This record gives sequence, structure tokens and C-alpha cells, in this order.
Amino acid sequence: MISDSPKQNSQAPEGVDFNNFILEIEPEPNADADEGSHQVKPESNPNLQVQFKSEKGRLLLLLPPAPEKSRNPVYWEDLRQQLKGRLRGGERFLQPHTPVHLIGRDRLLDSQQVQEIDALLCEAQLPLKRIYTSRRQTAVAAATAGYSVEQQTTLGHLGQGQEASRQAMEEPLYLQTTLRSGVEVRHRGTVIVLGDANPGSSIVAEGDVLIWGNLRGVVHAGAEGNRQCRIMALHMQPTQLRIADQVARSPEEPPAQYHPEVAYIGPDGIRIATASEFALADLTTEETP
Amino acid sequence: MSRIIVMTSGKGGVGKTTCTANLGMALAKAGQRVAVVDADFGLRNLDLLLGLENRIVYTALDVLAGECRLDQALVKDKRQPNLALLPAAQNRSKESIKPEQMKRLIKALTKVYNFILIDSPAGIEMGFRNSIAAAREAIIVTTPEISAVRDADRVIGLLEANDIKAVRLVINRLRPAMVAAEQMMSVKDVQGILSIPLLGVIPDDEQVIVSTNKGEPLVLEENLSQAGIAFINVSQRLQGEKVPLMDLSIKKESFLIRLKRLFGG
Repeated sequence: MISDSPKQNSQAPEGVDFNNFILEIEPEPNADADEGSHQVKPESNPNLQVQFKSEKGRLLLLLPPAPEKSRNPVYWEDLRQQLKGRLRGGERFLQPHTPVHLIGRDRLLDSQQVQEIDALLCEAQLPLKRIYTSRRQTAVAAATAGYSVEQQTTLGHLGQGQEASRQAMEEPLYLQTTLRSGVEVRHRGTVIVLGDANPGSSIVAEGDVLIWGNLRGVVHAGAEGNRQCRIMALHMQPTQLRIADQVARSPEEPPAQYHPEVAYIGPDGIRIATASEFALADLTTEETP
Repeated sequence: MSRIIVMTSGKGGVGKTTCTANLGMALAKAGQRVAVVDADFGLRNLDLLLGLENRIVYTALDVLAGECRLDQALVKDKRQPNLALLPAAQNRSKESIKPEQMKRLIKALTKVYNFILIDSPAGIEMGFRNSIAAAREAIIVTTPEISAVRDADRVIGLLEANDIKAVRLVINRLRPAMVAAEQMMSVKDVQGILSIPLLGVIPDDEQVIVSTNKGEPLVLEENLSQAGIAFINVSQRLQGEKVPLMDLSIKKESFLIRLKRLFGG
């Protein structure tokens, strides 16, 4: 038996201009009661992921902020994947035996998670020296697991607290890896990939994006609005390109041949030029403000 | 009342997404306003089958995070403006969305669309539970194989437990010659086990692979293939029309017709 009557369906919802409508979802039912976690506009930079930073002969491992407060939450499983990816992608540049200081920010970590981070660092021959955190629970967990811990009540130390306001970009992120479908790399600066960016992968950079390989995924350069940013690839065949607030997709007909190309914002949106043309144009038409 | 239909199977690779794309397109061609929702977070495919991958700007998660409105995330089909896709996020896991959030998305869609097809992921975990949360009807897609039928049976039980009563069956990738040679389960065999109303039978067709790779649903072709006709029939039955089941028994001329198609274009 087909239980619904045949006649019920073909009535289009009334009063909607199908060519031009606005649709919004209802707000979360308990948003008001559930104070703080969702209603408050998260202020942390959405592009923060696991990040290495070298400082005075030591390596800082900065974790993204607690997922509750982020527009792009990084949960533990994502964090682990990101750390693995960064370790693998930066292998050649991470000097073995460099002491690592873990900046946990306001993330909650249990002792098992701290140990797991340590184990991953160990594989890359990086000793975990010290853990900084602003959460008491994390501090206790790490201390009981036998790590040297420093609990900080105030931010603004060791690269923390910088997400609140717009700040200078980070140094470029250099990755030697293949970015596969589902991988998202976010960075507050320029991203350089030595390898391919496959379809289904995405790179969101606040600076330029350089792909020394095939670009087939989605790339967003100048993600915080910098229209001067560029995307360069040896083989430019992206699913979609975004620079600042502009979006472009590949032509329906793929070109017969691929050359190294540069994408930039021209007077009428995103344009693409071969690398050699672009270099020339850059020299001849660059206007000094 | 809009119809909210989840396409599910339990087992993977039986053709849920292909069915969703083709049914959605067939319904849109028939003048229905259709939204297809990809509930396969982390392993989305529906956009590829519809050839809309490079038009995605926002996903369902962006809507939920308040980054954009729902209409901004909807990708309108270039060929068939009655059809829109609500894409899933590719970089997240199935756990990144809750059944309650799915309900809010679908509820808003019902204001504009009269058919909402939800493409469920394989399995019976979180992704499945999300995809059935808002559904009022279900289409079970299965192939005539014992493993697929076994999983379909389990899923039908789960749907009933979740108060989705209108459950109908699509048998995909049937090979009449093998059925005739008793090497494959017949439509009757499958129905005998699952005992739910049959919505249609889709014959195995190489064109499906071609259309998948091109990102053009079969039902858009000018010379409809057998599978394309079968999908159109399913869509008509779904709209309440009485369409007889296609005769899939082996006929001598079918070979000739194929030859003709081969030479005649």
C-alpha cells in the first residue's frame, strides 16, 4: 500500500517568488537559555589551525582555540589530523631534537590527548618540553601525566590572545604533501604547497597561495579581504578560485594545455594569466599609488 | 504539504546518490520544485553527479553557523532551475551536525520546495540518523544481492522504529538476463524478503557510469536510456500516477534496438 494520497503533492507552497526568495532557518531553540556558547559571536579568527612557529631556537606548537568559541571549530580528531599533516608536510624543516613548547590556549585536553600529541611529536623526534594552558583542567591532566606545565591566567603571552584583533600575517606555511579530498588547510598568511591539491580539498589563506603542482581543489586567497592576493599553480585546474570576496570557477571546456598560471583580481573580477605574461604585466603596468 | 523523502539503503554503493540525482531531476522536469539535500557530510558526492561541484560557495554547515542564509547556500541547477542542491561540507565528519539542526534546515526548505529529497550516507550511524530526522517518507534503494537486501531489511526496521511509515522500494541495477538464468535475485525474490511497496526497478545500464562521470543525470538525455526511462517512471509513480512496470524481460529486438542506437546516434 502506498499510504499517501496521490493528490497531496503538486501544490507549490503559496506566495513564494521562486526566482527570488530569501530563506532563513529558525534560530536554535535553546539559544537564549544556553547562554554564551552560541549566541555570542565568536571572536577568534576562523583560520586558526594547528601551527608550528619557531622562536629563539625552540618550536612553539600552537593549538587552535577551544571549539566552542570558534566559527570553524577544530575538534580533537581534526586537531590530531592537522598535527599529523603539519608534521608530515614540514618534515624536512623540523630539525630533530628541537624542544617543543605546546601552547594549549583555552582548549581542554585530557592526559591521554596530551600523551597522544607527545607521541606524534616523538615520531618526528621532537621532544615535548613544556605545556602552557589557560585551563586548569588541562593543566592538571598534563601535570598528572608527568609533563612540565605552566598555567596562565592571562593571555597575550607566547603568541596567545592575538586572535581578537586583526594582526600582521603569520609567516608562510610551507607544506610538502598531497592535499586529498576532505583536507582543509587554513592559515593566517601565505600557503605554499609542494605537491597537488586534489579535488575536494580546500586551502584558505589570508595571504597568497602557491601550488607547485596540480591545483584541482578549492583555493581561497586573501580570505580576510585582501584583494591584492594571488593564486599561483603549475597546473591550474581548480574546482573554484576565491580571492577576497570574489569567486570564479573553471571554464566548462578545459583548455588543451596547461601552463603555470596566476590568478588575481582584475577590474572585472578574478582573472588568470600565464605566469610569464603576468610577470611582464606586473613590471609594465604596476601603478605606484 | 511538502514531501520530505529520505533515500537510504544501509549498504554503500547500491546507487542512493544516483537515484537521488535522477529522481530529483525527473521531478523538477515534471514541474515540481525540488530540493536535494546531501546528508553525506565528509563524503559528499551528490554535487558531482549533478555537475554542480564548482558552484558550491556555502554548505549546510555555513548556514547552521550563521555564516550565510539558507538561500545563499542553495545551488540552483543550471539546466533545470526547479532543482536546487543543498551541499554538505566536505571537510567535516558526520558528527558535525545534529538531527535537530537537520530538522531546522529541512523545515525552512519546505517553505519553498514541494519535494525534498535527502541523500543519506551509507551505514546506520550518525549520518543516517541525521538524514532521517526530518523525513516523512523513505525510499529504500537496493540491488538484487543478498548483502544489499539484508542491509535494506535492517534499515526498514530502523525507519519503522523512527515512525517513518511510508517506505517504498527501488531495486537498482537489475540484470534481466541473469535473473532469467537464475543467477540473480528477481524482483519477486527481493520483494518477498522486504515486503514493502515497489516504486520501481532500474535495469543495470552502462550509461549510468557515463552520466556520473559527466555530471549529467540520465533523465536529461534526449534519447532516454532504459535506466533513464525507469527513473522517469519512478518519479511519476512518486507523484501518484499509475505507470506500469517496465517490461525488462529479455526480448530479441532489444539487441537490435541497441544496435540501431549505436549506429543511428
